[in-house]
Parts: sequence; C-alpha cells; structure tokens
Amino acid sequence: MADLAAASTLLGQLQTAFSSGDLATCKQLLGRLKLEMTKMPALPPVYQQSANTQQQLELARQVLELAVLLAVRQCDEAAFERNYAQLRVYFSDARGMLPPSGQEGALTGLHLLRLLVANRIAEFHSELEVVPPEVQATPEVAQVVQLEQWLMEGAYNKVLAARASAASDYTRHFLDQLSSTVREEVASCSERAYESLSVADAASVLMLGGEAEVEAYAREHGWEVSGGRIAFHKRGDSADGGADGTAPPAVDLIGHCLNYAREIERIV
Amino acid sequence: MAAAMVAAPPPPTTSAGHVLALLDEDDDALKLHALQLLDASVQDFWFQIASSIGAIEALFEDEEFGHRQLAALVASKVFYHLGDLDDALSYALGAGPLFDVAGTSEYVQTILARCIDTYVEQRVAEAEGHGDAAAPDARLVAIVERLFARCFSDGQYEQAVGVALESRRLDQLEAAITRSADPVKTLKYALDVSQRLVVSRDFRNQVLRLVVNQYEKVAQPDFGAICQCMMVLDDADEVANILFRLLGGSEDEALLAYQIAFDLVDAELQAFMAKVNSRLDTLAPAPAAPAAAEGAAPAEGEQHMETDQPAEAAPAEEEASPFAKRLAVFKTVISGDVPTELERQFLARHNHADLQILKNIRASVEPRNSVCHSATVFANSVMHCGTTVDAFLRENLDWLKKATNWAKFGATAGLGVIHRGNVGKSRAIMAPYLPSAPGGSTPSPYSEGGALYALGLIHTSHGQGVRQFLLDSLRTTQHEVIQHGACLGLGVAALGTGDEEAFEDIKNVLYMDNAVAGEAAGLSLGLLCAGSGTEKAAELLAYAHETQHEKIIRGVAVSLALIQYGREEEAEGMIEQMTSELDPILRYGGMFVIGLAYCGTSNNAAIQKLLHFAVSDVSNDVRRAAVMNLGYVLASTPEQCPKIVSLLAESYNPHVRYGAAMAVGIACAGTGLREAVALLEPLIKDSVDFVQQGALIAMALVLVEQPEARVKPLRAHIDRLYGNKGAEVMTRMGAVMAAGILDCGGRNATIGLRSRSGHFRRTAVLGLTLFSQYWYWYPLSYCIALAVQPSALIGVDASLRAPKAFQVVSNCRASQFAYAAPVKVDDKKDKAKLPTAVLSTTARAKARAAKKSKDAAKDAGAGGEAAKEAGGAEAMETDKPAAAKVAEGEKKEGEEAAVEKKEPEPTSFTADNPARVAPAQRRFISFPEGQRYAPIRAAPSGFVVLRDTQPDAGEAEYLFEEEKPAAAPAAPSTDEAAPAAAPPAAGAGSGDEPPPPEPFEQPGSSLQAERTMSGTEWWRGVTDKGKTEIPGAEATELRSAQWQIERDAPEGVQQQLEQGDKEAEQVEAYRDKQDPDYHPSKEKEG
Repeated sequence: MADLAAASTLLGQLQTAFSSGDLATCKQLLGRLKLEMTKMPALPPVYQQSANTQQQLELARQVLELAVLLAVRQCDEAAFERNYAQLRVYFSDARGMLPPSGQEGALTGLHLLRLLVANRIAEFHSELEVVPPEVQATPEVAQVVQLEQWLMEGAYNKVLAARASAASDYTRHFLDQLSSTVREEVASCSERAYESLSVADAASVLMLGGEAEVEAYAREHGWEVSGGRIAFHKRGDSADGGADGTAPPAVDLIGHCLNYAREIERIV
Repeated sequence: MAAAMVAAPPPPTTSAGHVLALLDEDDDALKLHALQLLDASVQDFWFQIASSIGAIEALFEDEEFGHRQLAALVASKVFYHLGDLDDALSYALGAGPLFDVAGTSEYVQTILARCIDTYVEQRVAEAEGHGDAAAPDARLVAIVERLFARCFSDGQYEQAVGVALESRRLDQLEAAITRSADPVKTLKYALDVSQRLVVSRDFRNQVLRLVVNQYEKVAQPDFGAICQCMMVLDDADEVANILFRLLGGSEDEALLAYQIAFDLVDAELQAFMAKVNSRLDTLAPAPAAPAAAEGAAPAEGEQHMETDQPAEAAPAEEEASPFAKRLAVFKTVISGDVPTELERQFLARHNHADLQILKNIRASVEPRNSVCHSATVFANSVMHCGTTVDAFLRENLDWLKKATNWAKFGATAGLGVIHRGNVGKSRAIMAPYLPSAPGGSTPSPYSEGGALYALGLIHTSHGQGVRQFLLDSLRTTQHEVIQHGACLGLGVAALGTGDEEAFEDIKNVLYMDNAVAGEAAGLSLGLLCAGSGTEKAAELLAYAHETQHEKIIRGVAVSLALIQYGREEEAEGMIEQMTSELDPILRYGGMFVIGLAYCGTSNNAAIQKLLHFAVSDVSNDVRRAAVMNLGYVLASTPEQCPKIVSLLAESYNPHVRYGAAMAVGIACAGTGLREAVALLEPLIKDSVDFVQQGALIAMALVLVEQPEARVKPLRAHIDRLYGNKGAEVMTRMGAVMAAGILDCGGRNATIGLRSRSGHFRRTAVLGLTLFSQYWYWYPLSYCIALAVQPSALIGVDASLRAPKAFQVVSNCRASQFAYAAPVKVDDKKDKAKLPTAVLSTTARAKARAAKKSKDAAKDAGAGGEAAKEAGGAEAMETDKPAAAKVAEGEKKEGEEAAVEKKEPEPTSFTADNPARVAPAQRRFISFPEGQRYAPIRAAPSGFVVLRDTQPDAGEAEYLFEEEKPAAAPAAPSTDEAAPAAAPPAAGAGSGDEPPPPEPFEQPGSSLQAERTMSGTEWWRGVTDKGKTEIPGAEATELRSAQWQIERDAPEGVQQQLEQGDKEAEQVEAYRDKQDPDYHPSKEKEG
C-alpha cells in the first residue's frame, strides 16, 4: 500500500515535471517509478489479485504512457519502442481489467506512425490487425491508416500535406521523419525516371524549399549539378538489368532449352 | 464496477514482449526483474524469448552484471526448448547453483541426463588415457557431485551406484554403499550391475575389489557373493582364507562353506579350485588328516563318498577334531568329486531318454550312409550324456560295426560322453579300447585314439586322475590318430589348468607338422591355456604362419580364440593381428577370438567388428564365423540376439544364414526364447541343406528342456526329416543331431553356458565352441558334452549325502514341465526296414522284443514282466518300475484326448530330492516351511546344502544308497553267458550303475571261436574280422577316411560318400553270404 502511495506521489511529480518540460527530472523520476513497479505484484504477467489491483495497473499504465510520450519528446527511438512494448500489454492482455485510457488512441497512432516512418510495413499491418475497432475509429489512428494508404498509392504530395495538419506535437515529430522518407522515395524514382532534371523542377518534385536546398540534397546523393541541371548517374547496380533496356538473353535460353530436350531424349 | 473487475480472473498472457522490453532498460534491477519473470514463463514464451536470446547471452557475458547466473539459466532453458542440448548444458553449467538438480521438470531431467552423459564420456576418455582428453569441467563435476548428494539424501542409492559405475567414480560408489540404509542390498545391486554393464574389464575388477572390501565390512557378510567375486578376480588365497574361517566356525558356517564350495565348483574353473585346495592345505593346522582323506578320495572314487562315508567319519571322530573332519568333507566337494558324483547319480536314475526315438532313427537311416550313421551315434551319446546308459549301443552292436576309421574314433569318444563324470571307473570302462589294454590283439588306432579322447571327456574339468595316463599315452605313441585322441583328451581333461609339462609335450606333437595330430595338438594347447591370454599365443600364431597344413592352421587359430577367452580389451592386439591376416583360416580364428574374448559382454565395439566382417569379408568361412560369434558376445542378453541377427538371417549368402542360426542357438541356448524360435523357423525350411542343418541344431539348443508343448513341432519336423530319403544328407544329419541334443542327458539336462550364480561357465562356452567346429571335423561334435548341465536341484546335508526327506514345491502344473510322452512303436515301419538293415540274431531278438513290448502296451496289466523282458536296460535306467512307466505312458496318451473332461490339475506339486528343475521352471520353485531339512540358501537349482533342524530325529534315510542292491540284479540276464570273460569293471562295480557292454554272440559259423568273446571287446573283434576276412576292407578304410577330413568341397565329399557306400554294400553282401544262418525267409519267422 505504502508502495502504491509512494508511487502515486512520484507519478504526480513526474506529471508536473513532464508538463513543465523538465526532461532530466522526468527521466530520473521515471527510473524510480519503474523500480517501484517491479515491486507491484498485480502487474502483468503475474496479475496477483489484491484489493488495489486496479489502482496498481492504472498507475503502471499512466507511468508507461508518460514514458512513451517522454521518449518522443526526447526523440529517443529505442526508448519509445521499449516503453511502448511495455505499455502494450495494458492495451491488450490487461485491457479487460482497466477502464479505457484516454491516451490509447493517440499512443497507438504514434506507434503505428513510427512503424510507417521506419518503413516497417509488415509490422504495421500486423499491429493494426490487433488494434480493437473502437481504437481504430479514433482520429489519430484513422489518420495514420489514411497516411499509409496514400503512401502505398504514391500520393506523396498528400502525405507531405498531412504534415501541415498534424494533430499534435508528437505527431509532427514523426511526420517530419515521414516527409524525409517520402522524399527519399521520390528521389530514387527520379533517378530512374530522368536522365537529368533542372534544379527548379527538382525543387518542386522533391518539394524542397529552394535551389540551395536542392543542391545540398543533390550532394548528399552524389548527383552532379552543372548549369542548373541535375544529372543522375545511372547507378552501376545492374541488379534489375531489365529496367535499362537490355533484352533478356533469349538466344541463350532457347539454346539451353534445346540442349535440355536433347539430353532428356538421350537419357530416355 | 471496480469490484467486479477486481474479481475478474487474470487474463491469459499472450506475449512476453513487455517483459523482454525490460531487458533493454539501463537499470540492472529492471533487467533482473525481467529475467525473473522470464525464468518463470520460459516454457510458454521460449519462442519469443529465443528472438531476444542475444540480449540474454550478452547479459551472461557481461562481467559487471550481477545476475549472470540467472541469465545463464534462462538461456539454458531457451536452448533446451530449441532442442540444442549442448548449449543448454553449457549455460546450465554457467547457472551454477541456480540450476536445481532436485527439480522434477522435464528440463532438469533432460539436462541432468545430458550432464551425466557428458561427464561419463569425459571420465571414460580420461580413464582410457586418450592423450588429448582433458579433465572434466569443474562445473560439470560440481553438478554431478550435487546429484550424488541428492541421491544420498533421497535414499536413491541404486541410482547413485549406477552413475558412479558409469562415471568410474569409485569414491562415490564406496560412499553409496557405506551410506545406504541397506548396504547388503546395495552391494548386491552394485555387483550385479558391474557384472552386466561395466564394459572395461580393468575397471570391473576394481569395482569387484571394492565390493569385496565393502562386503567384509558389513555386519553379516554374504560370503557366497564375496567368494564369487574373488573367483572372478582369480584370488584363490582370499577365498581359501574365507572358507578356512567358515570351516572353523559354527555348524551353520561350515554348511555355508560347503554351499560356497558347491557354487564355486559349478563354475568349473579347475585351476582356480586347485589353487584354493592347495592354499587350504597350507592353512590347515593338522595337515596329516586332510592329506589322508585326500589320498583316499581319488582312489576310491564315489565309493568313498557313498558307502564309506560313515566308516570314514569314524576315524575322524577318533581324532576328535571336528575341523579336520569338516575339512575332509569339504575337500570332497572342492575337488569336484561329490558334485560330479551326485549329478551323475541324478542323471543315471532319472534318465528318461526315449530309446524308441533312437530305434526309429536307426531303422530309417540306411547304415551305408556314414554321415547319418555317425550322427546317430552322436545322438545316442548326447541323449545319454552322463547317464552311463549304453543300452542302445549294446543292442545294436552289429549296426555299430559299420562305423569305421574316424567314425569309429567318434563312436568310441561317444562312450566317454555317455559315461561323463563317472570319474571313478573311467579307466575300467575304457580299458578294452585303450592302447595298453592287456590281452588286446591288433588294436585299431581309431578306437584307441577315440578312447583317449573319451577319457578326457569323462574327466572334463576333473583331470587329475587321468592326466598322467594321457600324457604317457601321448609320449609312447607315434601314430597320428592316437596322438590326435590323446591331445584332445588331455586338452579337455586339463582344461584351463595351464599345465606346463603337458603343454611342452603337446607342443612337440604340434611341431612334428603332421596334419591330423597337429590339428588336435593346436586345439589342445588352446584348451590347456584357456582364458589365460598367455604370451605363448604369439608363438602359436607364428607357427600357424609357418605350417602348410590347413588343418593345423585351423586348429591353432581356434586355439588362439580359446586362449583369449574372456580377456576382453587385452585381446585387442591379437584380434587386430588376426583379423588383418591374409589367410582366411586365421581370420576365421580371429572371429572366434572376438567372440570368446568378449563372451557375454555385449560389447558394442565387438559386435560392430563382427557385423563388419559378416558383411564385408571375402571368405564365406570368415563370414559364417563372424555371424556365429555374435552369439557368444550376446550370450548374456539372449533376448537381443535374434533382433541383431534377424537381417543376417535373411542374407542371400547361405553361410551367413547358417551363422545367424548358430548365433541364435548359442546365445539363446536353453532359454526357449520365442523370438529365437520365430527366427529359426523359416531357416529350418531353408533351401540350402547346411542352413537347415544349422537351424535344426540351433533350434534344439534353444528348445532343450523346454515344456513339451513347445518342443512338439520340432520333434515332428525331425521325425519327418531323418527318414526322408529325398532330403539332403546334411539336413538329415542335422535332424539326427538335433534329436540327440534335444534330449540331452536323458532329458534331465540343459545346455547351460552360465552357472547357477550367473557367471559364464568357461568349460561350457569352450565346449560349445569346439562343438561348432564339427563343420570341419565331426569328432569335435562330442565336445558338446562339456556344455551339458544337469538341471537338478539336489539337497545335501552336512555329510554331503542327499536326504530323502526333503521336498521342494513347484508352483506350476505338473504336466507343464513333464517329460515327453514316449514315442509309440511304429511296427510297420520297423518291419519294413529291419530285414535290410539288421541281420544278426540280436536284431531278431530285438524284433521279438519290440513286438512283445507292443503287446505289453496293449495289455497294461501284464505289462510289467513283458516290458522287463523287452528291454532289461530300460527297466534299469529308471528308478520307477517299468510297469508303472508303461502304464503311465498309456495314461498320458489317453489323457491327451480327454483332457478337458478331467478335473483341473492342481496348480502346484511337490518334487522329491533330487528334483528335476527345468530352466523355465526355476521361478516356480519354493521351499516349504516345516521340513526337517532347511536350505542354507534358497537357490532354485543346483546344489542346496541343507541344515538338519531335527538332528535328534534319528538316522536319516539317504538317496542313492539303498537302491544299490536293487540295481545290481537289474543287470541284463545275458550276463551269465560269459561270466569268465566279464570285464574288470563289472567285477569291481558296486552295482549302482549298468556295467559296460555285456558279452554278445558273434553271428556266423566262421566266428565260432570268438563266440564267448567279452562284450567289451566287440569292437576289436569287429576290426579283426574285417581285416582277416574281407580283403577289400583295407582299401575301403583308406578311401573312406578321406571323406570326413574336409567338408569344404561338398561335391567331392558326396562322390566319395557314394563310392564308400557302394563298397560297403559289397562288403555287406559278402558278409551276408558268409552267414550260413542267413536266409530272407528266416527274418520273417523271427
């Protein structure tokens, strides 16, 4: 009981620190809280029944929700993943034991968005499958699902536009990353599609702010910029040779087939 | 609502993801928490944890992490679930004390098993001195130690013993024994397990030493077990010391000493017993008394034991030294005199061999067919092995005359088999045939040689009496056949004694490089040094390389195997050398070296080696021998043998099939195992004659003394075969031999490779090995007598006599192990064969007798007299009146038809001392309470020393004594015909056994002068007649001598056989003309 009281106090402090933006204190408080949580028997996977089971679970969930948000603020991907993994059990297994959390939609959305940003599409879909319908209906999750569809369609401009209408700071953080992911996609397409491109066109295609940005971007990718045009190098990677016009080696194939036929004939 | 939620059951956990996430936290406390949670849930989420195994391994590697052992435990469990036991074990070792050896989970059990396996492997590698073997991991040792500690605290001492033995931890073995609640039980277990499962001979001996030491510390030591151990260790001094102490102790202790002596003698280690004996002499305080007693023992033979017992006891009492008296009594046991004699008495009195079977065989086997003829003689010998009943031979002298040359050698040796164990009278029995027989005319070397061999067989393992005589015979002769017989005789009689003098003499014979004598000399040397692994083996092998004679090479090759008997690893050098020889005969011997060196060990390496040769060698002989020897290696686990050879039994190569059959026969001898029978059944109907032969013999070996219901099909099959002229000779020979083996020892014996205490009887194993050489040399088949073991339970009291008032209860139906019903006389068959086969007056008399006995069977009331007339010998061979027997037989036949109508048979019956206890019957035997005599040890077979609980109840009645006068008149009435020429044995005989063959009348007018010739000289008479009267006989002898020598070329043999048959036919015709009494019409009258 005492533990729970102490933990509640700590949680209070954490919430204050979090809202005041004192990240260092937050981190330190979070560490202490997590230690407190190891002493709570009601938490998964033990689920020991006691009078304050629900309070314990609720507290743990709040701590972890804060921890996830904190990780986003700190831009700490690993911490985000770790904390969300710990939190998720409260949205799945322990769901029935708790009153629904107000943050669930937002956090699930963030998680899905993060997967999308990291281009982990398979995981994204399997995660989405287990998200209960009422959570899927929340705007945060719905928006992420929409984004994914755009991305798949190749409607990159819509994706980039979504950034402007970001719901919250946390989302914006991920959307920033998403736009750079999209830009990479566009760039790699451009490499294939064009021999060369004028800097101005490139700026609009890549949705960059100005020529300077384009040039910097071009340098990053090793493109040559000369006379206001960007020349894309045909990369040496002939992994997909069919793309650059070389016909499949038809004669060779025919030769092989005939050879096989002859061999089979001979064996029989 | 909240309350309802609290009450709700915890949701099922579907993932360990959140716990795994904790592992990535920075704080060690969180990691620890995570590990704890994972440890608890690893069996459910190992698949999830497996993907994070890297993180856990990293934690274990992290020197600074405070809970590395927990990490190791979790990792170990995950690897266990992944099926990677090696990693699981190494992490479990890393987990240190956290790995709970007391756990009952499958994980713990599996890891422990793995742990012990690894430890055992490393310990063995260390002990065997493989150079690179490092000492076992200290952590591994720690776990094993903890396991031992747990076994001790849980009282699982047997488990501890097992692990200690496997891991070669003598210290732990000792601890297990000393700490156990019941040390005697644990010791017994340790002893048993070490005998069966410890592969290394060295280590086994170490264990035995330890066990013996421990035994001696126990409050009430089991001296019997100690002495058995000592015998295996060949420590005669210690055994003598123990026995000496016991003899000096209380009455009961003395009885125990007798019991131990009986048990030791049962193992038939002659040299060991001699050592014990001489050691006892040096220990004895008053050497005069035992010396005197000993002096009397060999001279007087069994007389001393039976009749003179009270007389002898008297002077001992005068000396007022109970110890000396006991010692004297004891020595009669340890010298083997009493046990041999008692067993012989048992076999003689309970003989149930069915003469009718032999008569049928004789009638249907044409006498010109020498192979079947000598097989029949063999069958008779084995059937009557040890019974001293030679009625069949005496009834069929004319028929027997057909045996010439080596067949005669064998037939004479057969007498030795029949009289096996008749140590006291051996010389008298064989006297007429021996080289130096007085008054002998021109003796045949074949019967002389055979007689020497026979002497050896009579004295098997009790050779002191004849050793000198055989040695002298060997020295004085230059004839190869006599040398052959003397060598074999000496080898069998002095088996395993390592007699230096004899060794030198026989070696000289070997170096004369004579094929016939050299072969026997080679074998004999092997027998002398059996199981010694002597250095001289190398010398023999060198000679085998030198000589040109295949027979000598084979003799030496087999003898090398005999020498290496039971040497296990020590024989490896020899095995290596012999199996890589270019000469197939030496490789053949090499197979036997493997088989005998690892006899009864089930050693995997040996089995693999044999299997390798069985399928890869280029020589058929080697392949056959390789498969056959699997039987020896697997002799201790007969149930394994059929499984292992089952594929080989279906081989395309008939030699391999033959080998498979014999392997099963050897390994499962006397067990009646169903699998064995199932494997042999198809082989009996094999398409190749010699495979059928092997299968028949093997089947007989397996089914000997089994319940009659199981043997019946085999008997029926044998009956069909031997008379079938269409069958191959080899098959018929096998059938006849099988018939003999099946009824060995008058249906009162089994083929026992093991003593009653479970040790292998060296004599028996080697006897069977020599028997299997019959393939090349028929006379060696008689060595099967060495493996014949009377299946008797004989109770003896302190005076070593068998009291009458002792009974055992057999908790099974009496009919289950009853003797087979006597064969019905098939009159028609007899009549059809007799006229062509038998021409003498004897035959006519026999036909009359057969007819009469048939009448008698019809008229059971008057049966008694008629039966007695019909076969005097038959009346004599059983202790029941003949009439009763006939009536019984009649009744049994009747019962077969109407068995259901009868009231159910009682489920137990009592048997009088000495009781016949078939091997399968042993488990039903119990000793009823409240008898006057109580057994010292309740063994279900063999000798049981009895304690007289009512010593004041008056003089006890003893068996084998009052029956003597009854037996004497039972001697055949024809005895009167020539009393003057009666052999010395008949005069000296105490009448408790049938005298040697009685005189007989030589038919034919030209032989009138020989009319009263002594029956024991029939043999010689036959020879003389053959030589003087039939000029062609000499040539016949020479030619037919060849057919027996080598069987390698069957076609050639067949031709020679046919030729021999033709000539014999001419001889027959000639002789018929000489017989003036002969007229076909007279046969009908008779």
